[in-house]
Amino acid sequence: MYEALKKEALKRKRAFEEDPRPIIQIGMATCGIAAGALETRAAFQQVLAERQIPARIRTVGCMGHCYAEPVVIIDHGASGFPPILYPEVNSGKAAMLAKLFLENGDPRLEHILGATKENDMIPSVMEFPRFNREKRLVMEKCGHIDPEDIYDYIAGGGYAAFAKTLERPGDTLIDEIQQSGLRGRGGAGFPTGLKWELARQSQGKEKIVICNADEGDPGAYMDRMLLESNPHQVLEGMLICAHAVGAGRGIVYVRAEYPLAVKTLEKALHQAKEARLLGNGILGTSFDFHIDIFEGSGAFVCGEETALIHSIEGYRGMPRQRPPYPTESGLFGKPTVINNVKTLATVPAILEHGAQWFRGIGTKNSPGTAIFSIVGDVTHPGLVEIPMGVTLRTLIFDICGGIPNKKGFKAVQIGGPSGGCLSEAFLDTPIDFDTLAEAGAMMGSGGMVVMNEDTCMVDVARYFLDFTQKESCGKCTFCRIGTHHLLAALEQLTEGKGESVDVNFLQRLSEDIRAGSLCGLGKTAPNPVLTSLKYFANDYQAHMKEKRCPAMACRPLVAFYIDLEKCARGCDVCEGCCPVDAVFTTPNRKKGIDQSLCVKCGECMTACPPEYKAVMKVSPPHLAPVIERPPQAARKGK
Amino acid sequence: MSENRITIFVDGKALKAREGEPLLKACLAGGIFIPNLCYMEGIDPLPVSCRLCFVAVEGRAQPVPSCSIPVREGLVVHTDTPEVRRLQRQGLRLLLSTHHVECARCPANRHCALQDMTRFLKVGLKPKTVYLKAPPVRSEHPFLDYHVNRCVLCGRCVEICKARQDRPELTFIKRGFDTTLGFFPGGASNPQDLKTYRACVEACPVGALVLKDSNKNP
Amino acid sequence: MDLELSPEERQKLQELKSELQSFKRERGQLIPILQWIQERLSFLPSQALESVAEYLQIAYAEVFGVATFYNQFRFHPPGRNPIRVCLGTACHVKGADIILENFERKLGIREGETTPDREFSIERVACVGCCALAPVTLMGETVHGYMAPSKVEGLITRVAIEKEVRERERKKGAHV
Repeated sequence: MYEALKKEALKRKRAFEEDPRPIIQIGMATCGIAAGALETRAAFQQVLAERQIPARIRTVGCMGHCYAEPVVIIDHGASGFPPILYPEVNSGKAAMLAKLFLENGDPRLEHILGATKENDMIPSVMEFPRFNREKRLVMEKCGHIDPEDIYDYIAGGGYAAFAKTLERPGDTLIDEIQQSGLRGRGGAGFPTGLKWELARQSQGKEKIVICNADEGDPGAYMDRMLLESNPHQVLEGMLICAHAVGAGRGIVYVRAEYPLAVKTLEKALHQAKEARLLGNGILGTSFDFHIDIFEGSGAFVCGEETALIHSIEGYRGMPRQRPPYPTESGLFGKPTVINNVKTLATVPAILEHGAQWFRGIGTKNSPGTAIFSIVGDVTHPGLVEIPMGVTLRTLIFDICGGIPNKKGFKAVQIGGPSGGCLSEAFLDTPIDFDTLAEAGAMMGSGGMVVMNEDTCMVDVARYFLDFTQKESCGKCTFCRIGTHHLLAALEQLTEGKGESVDVNFLQRLSEDIRAGSLCGLGKTAPNPVLTSLKYFANDYQAHMKEKRCPAMACRPLVAFYIDLEKCARGCDVCEGCCPVDAVFTTPNRKKGIDQSLCVKCGECMTACPPEYKAVMKVSPPHLAPVIERPPQAARKGK
Repeated sequence: MSENRITIFVDGKALKAREGEPLLKACLAGGIFIPNLCYMEGIDPLPVSCRLCFVAVEGRAQPVPSCSIPVREGLVVHTDTPEVRRLQRQGLRLLLSTHHVECARCPANRHCALQDMTRFLKVGLKPKTVYLKAPPVRSEHPFLDYHVNRCVLCGRCVEICKARQDRPELTFIKRGFDTTLGFFPGGASNPQDLKTYRACVEACPVGALVLKDSNKNP
Repeated sequence: MDLELSPEERQKLQELKSELQSFKRERGQLIPILQWIQERLSFLPSQALESVAEYLQIAYAEVFGVATFYNQFRFHPPGRNPIRVCLGTACHVKGADIILENFERKLGIREGETTPDREFSIERVACVGCCALAPVTLMGETVHGYMAPSKVEGLITRVAIEKEVRERERKKGAHV
C-alpha cells in the first residue's frame, strides 16, 4: 500500500517539475508572515496577473533563517540561472523581481543571498557558514516542502521509515532506538528508548502517545516551526512510537497561541487519514492509531508531563509527585509516552538510516543533532541545527555571524527560564546535554539568547525569575513563595534598593528552592540566578555596593544628560522625540533633561545626530550634572 | 498496601511498620515527629505539596519528602540531619512570610500546626518580610469564612470536599503566588453539606477556615 | 465581577446554552469548551462559566479554578484594538518594557486593562515567536516588528485616524 502512495507522490512531483513555468517559493510560517510574507505573496500575485506572467507560487514552511524573512526562492530555469534565494523580499522587491527577473530575465544580483544549487554563475548559499556549518537532520525538509501537501513529504521519502517498521516487531524498534542513544529533546535528555521500553512493558491496556508541543519558553520556537513546516515528520515519529509501544491513541498537545501550527496539523491529520496512514487498518495492516489535537491554554508548567496530563483531563495543570511515571500511569491512568516534537521528528531518520549512523553524529553520550533558536545580539538570528559537540564559539560567531554593531560578547543564556547564563569562558565548550548541565545551564528547549556588553546580568536573572514566578503553578511551598522572595530581592537590586540583599541570601534561597520544589519548574527556576551569581559576580557587587549598573541597563540606576559642550545650538531632535517632555531648552538654546520627568527610555540618545552624540548615559544616576530648567522653559502647554 | 509487618530504622530506632505505607505515617505512628501539613490519610495520590516532611533516606543523595516514600524492610532514615532541617526551616519561614500572625484572635491558637512547628524547628513566628493578600477575609460562602492570610494552601479541605461531595465546592483558584481557595456565594447552601464543612474546619491545620457564627451550634 | 453585557453578548450567551450540547458531557471537554466560548465572546463572562458548570455537572468553583489557572482565559472584554506587547527574552533584552510603559502612558491604562471607550486594551504576552524581529508588538493580529518608543504614538494615532475616516465615510454614505 505504501508503494502506491509513493508512486502517486512521485508522479505528482514529476508533473510539477516538468511544468516549464517558473516557480516562486515563499516561506509562509508564522515568522515569515510576521515579517510580511502575506504582502509579498499578494504583490507577486498582482504583478503576475497584471502582466500575465506564467509563473507559479508555491508556499512552503520556514527554513529557520529568520534574519532574512520574508525569504523567496525563484526557480526560473528558462532564464539560464539556477534557483536563487532572495532575502527580505518586501512587496516592493517582489513586484520588482516579478517584472525584471520573471519577465526580463534579469535576476538583480544585488538583491540575492545566493543560489540554492551548485552552479558556475552565482555563488551558492552553501558557501556561507550559516548554511554549510549546519547539519540538518530534523529540519532537513523544512522550508523546502509544502507542509499542506502530504505527497510532497512522501515524494522525499516520507513515511518510508514507518512503512518499513510496520513489518518489524515493536521490541526490535525499541532496541534500535535504545542503541541509537537518542535522548529526549524536551530538555532533561531522558533516554527515549528506555521510556518506550517502560511503556511497552507496562501492564495497562490502551496505551497513549502524546507529542508535547507546549513550547512555553519565551525565546524558543523550533517546535512551532517544525509543526508549521513539516508536520508529517512529527506524525510519522508518533506512528513509529505507537507501533513500538503498542498504543492506539495519540494526542498532539500544542499551544493555542500557535494558530497556524494547529491549522497545519489539522490539515496534515486529515490527509494522513485519507492516505490510510492514520485510523483503522493502517496501510492495510491490523494496526490502528488515531491522533487528536489538544490545544494547550498557556501555562508554562504544562510542559511538565504530569501537569500536561492534568490539563488534558480538564483540571488545573498542576504537577504531581513522580513515581508513578506516566509510562506506568498517565493520561486517564493509562500508560502514556510523552515525547517532545523534536524527539519524535528525529525518530524516522534513525529508523531510516539505522542506529549506528545516528551514533556517528554528535558526541558519545549525546548523539544526534541539537536545534537552537538563537536570538538576541547576533547578526544572523534564527533556527540552527548542529551536531551535538559543536562549540558555542562556532555556533555564535561562525554560524550566526557574531555580535553586530561592533559590540563585545558578554553572555549567552541557554535553555530559557530553566537554563543558565554562561560567560565568555564557556565559548569553547562543546555543547551537549552533559556539558551544559555541568556548567549549570541546561539544554532545555534549545532557546539561546546571545547578549552583548550592554546587558545587565542581574536584570536578566530578574527577567527569568519574573517569568517563572508568574508561571509557578502555586502547588508547592518553595516554588510558590520562594520564587516570590527571590524575585523581590532581585527587583530591589535592579532598582537600587538592594542594601539589605546579600549574595549569601540569594545563593541559599536559590539552593533551597532547587532542593525543595516538587517539579522541574521549581527545581530549575533558580538556575539563571545561580549561574549569573557564579559567572557574573561583579554585576551583583556593583548593584549592591555602589548602586551602579555596569551595563547601564537597569533604568532606575542610570541617568541621561546632555553634554553642553557637544550639544548643537538650535537642534530640536531630542526635544521632539521625548515622550514625556523631559527635554527642555536652556537660555543659550542648548538642551537639558529634567531628571524628575525622565523615564529613561533612551529615545533622545538614539535620536541625537551622530555628528553631535551629545546625549550621555551614566550610572549611578547622581553622576549626571544638574542642568536647571529655566522657569520660562516650563513645559509646553502644561 | 500489604499486611506485611516490617522493620525500619529511624534515627537509630527500630520501628514496626506496614510494608508500603508512607514513611511519614510510620514515623508519626512510631512517635517520631516530622513536620507536615498537607499529608492526610486516604488521599490518593498524596499532594506532596507542603514540602516540610523531608527526611534523609540512606542511599539517596538528597532529602526526600517522607510522605512520598513507601516503607520497605530495612529502610534506614534520619530525620534530623542539617540538610533536612535547613529545608524544613526554609519551607516554614516561607509559609510564615505569607501568614498573618494574629494568634490571640485565631481559633487555632495553641493547637496550630504552624505554632507547633516553629517551636519544634526553633524558627521565629514573625519573619522580616511578610506578603499579605487583600481582602483578608472572604465571607461569601453560606457556612464558612475564609481567612486568606492564614491559609497555607495545604489542600486538606479541598480533598475532604472531593471525597464527600458529588460536585466538590472547595477548590483552588488562580495560580502561583496568587493561588487561594475558591469562595463563591450560592451553590453550597445544602444543609447536608454542613457536616462536610465541619470536617473541613476540623482538618484545617491553621484556622483559615472558620464556621460562621450561626452554624457553630446546630 | 459581573459586567454589563451588551444585548448582542446576552444573545450569544443564550445561544451558547443550547450549542453546548455539541460537546460530550465529560470533564475532559472543560478546556475545549472554555476555549470555544472565548473564541465566540472574546472573554469568559461569569454567566458563561455558570452554564458550563451546569452542563458538565461540576461546581462553579471548579470551572473558575480551571479557567483562572491558564493564561489564555480572560474575564474582561478586550478592546476593539487589543495591543499585545511581547515580553519574550529577545524582546526584553531589546527594551520591550519601555515599549509597554509607553503604551500604558499614552493610553492611560495599565497592562491587563481596557480603555473606558473599549477601543484599546493592553496585554503582555510571554513570546509570540518572532524573536528575530524584536521588540515585537501585536495590534490586533498584525505583528509590528522592530518597535521603538517613538513608534507607539504613531500606531495609536493610525487607529484613531482610520476610525475617523470610517466615520466620515459612513456619514457620507448616510447623506447619499
